[in-house]
Amino acid sequence: MNTWEYAESIESSSIVNIEKKYGIFIDGKFQTAKSKKFIKTISPSTEEVLSSISVGNKSDINSAVDSAKSGLKIWSKLSGTERAKYLFKLARLIQERSREFAVLESLDGGKPIKESRDFDLPQVAANFFYFAGWADKLDISWNTKGLKPYGIVGQIIPWNFPLLMLSWKVAPALATGNVVILKPAESTPLTALLFAELCEEVGLPPGVFNLVTGDGTTGAALVQHPDISKIAFTGSTAVGKYIQKETADRDIGLTLELGGKAANIVFNDAAIDQAVEGVVNGIFFNQGHVCCAGSRLVLQEDIHDEFVSKLEKRMQSLRVGNPLDKNTDIGAINSKEQLNKITSLVDEGVAEGGSIFQTECDLPSNGFWFKPTLFTNAQPSYKIAREEIFGPVLTTLTFRTPEEAIEISNNTEYGLSAGIWTEKGSKILWAADRLQAGVIWANTFNKFDPSSPFGGYKESGFGREGGRHGLLSYLKVQS
Amino acid sequence: MNEVKKTYKNYVGGKYVRSESGKTFRIELKNNFYEVPLTSRKDIRDAVVAAKKGFAGWQKLTPYNKTQVLYRLSEMLEGNIDTYQQILEDSGLTKVKAKQDIKMASDSLIWFAGMADKWEQMTGNLNPVAGDFFNISHQESIGVIFSLNTNENSLNQLLLSILPSLTTGCSVISFSESNSILALKLAEDINNSDLPSGALNIMSGNFSQVIDDVSNHVEINAMAIYKDITKDEKIIIRENASKSLKRIFIKPSTSGLESLLPFLETKTVWHPKGR
Repeated sequence: MNTWEYAESIESSSIVNIEKKYGIFIDGKFQTAKSKKFIKTISPSTEEVLSSISVGNKSDINSAVDSAKSGLKIWSKLSGTERAKYLFKLARLIQERSREFAVLESLDGGKPIKESRDFDLPQVAANFFYFAGWADKLDISWNTKGLKPYGIVGQIIPWNFPLLMLSWKVAPALATGNVVILKPAESTPLTALLFAELCEEVGLPPGVFNLVTGDGTTGAALVQHPDISKIAFTGSTAVGKYIQKETADRDIGLTLELGGKAANIVFNDAAIDQAVEGVVNGIFFNQGHVCCAGSRLVLQEDIHDEFVSKLEKRMQSLRVGNPLDKNTDIGAINSKEQLNKITSLVDEGVAEGGSIFQTECDLPSNGFWFKPTLFTNAQPSYKIAREEIFGPVLTTLTFRTPEEAIEISNNTEYGLSAGIWTEKGSKILWAADRLQAGVIWANTFNKFDPSSPFGGYKESGFGREGGRHGLLSYLKVQS
Repeated sequence: MNEVKKTYKNYVGGKYVRSESGKTFRIELKNNFYEVPLTSRKDIRDAVVAAKKGFAGWQKLTPYNKTQVLYRLSEMLEGNIDTYQQILEDSGLTKVKAKQDIKMASDSLIWFAGMADKWEQMTGNLNPVAGDFFNISHQESIGVIFSLNTNENSLNQLLLSILPSLTTGCSVISFSESNSILALKLAEDINNSDLPSGALNIMSGNFSQVIDDVSNHVEINAMAIYKDITKDEKIIIRENASKSLKRIFIKPSTSGLESLLPFLETKTVWHPKGR
């Protein structure tokens, strides 16, 4: 195979200016958190400390809610077109400073610069552009009467796509006339803090966007605050269930984007090389830290050997290493905690009897890393075939008939996404009708767009983000 | 002279069944009183099994077919106006009010019957993604619905607690309490319509006795509560529901497109364009 060496091509990190310590963003400006408590945020690729961020507590959430209340008074008086202008301006500013955001995202989260630069940031700007345009068309968005914003929305986002998840949450919430209190993930707060600076720069009215950094306790305080009328959460199914339970005594809106264990079905009449490429992208994109990752390869038995051999060869060409190197395909695992979780699930997979293949590559001595991993010979009952690993680990299951493929694919409590690979159009439509998943990629995988609704069936949560359907997550029907 | 007018049974899986517990409760109207089933935990479980089968049968009918089945139900109802009039008057409505209620019920049925083959067009769309992809979002029905009727003596309200979810292709377990007679009477018309067995199940009882069983049941995909319930009841429902992320809708809309939205899941499908 190709043995040429790649020359390093490192994106300079001098473009970003990280402060030693960050406050929280309330009333349109940065303030010292009342908690006076800080945690360090590190770069998972070097374990170097990047900054200290505030851990907001109950009184910080109270301040954020007070701020949001005054923000709502201003925001709700603006016309849709005025709201749109702010969002358009934010979109433009994000575009202008996208390289800075991309580098910061890769530093703080460990994802390859290739992805933060070419995927995350363009999508972030696109989200603000897309929802900006809805702000003054809400009355004609759905054939319904009297859709109204919730008011104060609490949003909790994960560490896998920090700024992209911010844009999925904040853009539609503001477009629909709500105001926001955002809690970014503990391990990846830096791009959200930079976004807060942009809000100041565009002169967004104080209190419309509020940012309280912190950990799980901060998130819990946000969820528990009685004046929050809507919670939008992206994260694990366990925390999603906690939120539904915790808010049981309140009539509030919930949007929950939770875990997944997507089947990527490859039929024997698929374009094999394209399917290999799609399967690789489906699981190894963003180190597999993707809720809709195609983590179960559901493969027709008669092409198993040929497919697996091509897949292993392709996997071997993936370059693991420095996220800031433009050649890097797979960056760092986001945290030590996540690395431990992946490692223990993979160990269990081996113990249960799965055959493991891992690529040969050198891993940096510092930071958190995991080699691209493929399991074959797995049974549907194995933990690696049932539980979300949220890492670069693919588990193969085989089937003989299309009916069996559907049965295996739906045999999970999750229902976020699924993939279908076949050259036969009628089979795609047949399978798409039967797969219990909110997003189905046929002859492609992991494609996203602000105009395309995303969200799950079953225990992958409820509500949609993106598209016309995404508006309904932030508007309630007035009866 | 009051006498037991009739012993009604639950209607589950296309059959009239007694509560397996053998328990009944008495509903006394102005002129008649009735013994009706007191639904038990086991009855709920049986109903879910029936509703799952009913969902498969009902959902797979074409939208055109669903429209015809619901229209047929309205014809059945028209044929029994006198009985509904008598039950409503016996429940305390004036002759005029009862008549109005039946008229509204019939209109509701007509509206939803015509909606069965429309909502897909009103809720789905092509998404203008930035790239060479065919990208469409359409809707699927969510599955088995438990619907708690209001406690009004109203045929229209009863139907409005059933039709939004039924029209989307969901199967429904409709539960009524002290106003069960209307629902149990409706079961006879349902039986004479062409709804697949288990698509619409009618039960009577005391909701507080089955609240845990219903909200804990993982194969009930959503609960639609049209009755005013207490805060404590809401807490029980939502806490139990959180174990499986069951969808809970308290007092959802009963008119317009928005009445159907809770019972739909959006499915988005992508395919590349190319030669």
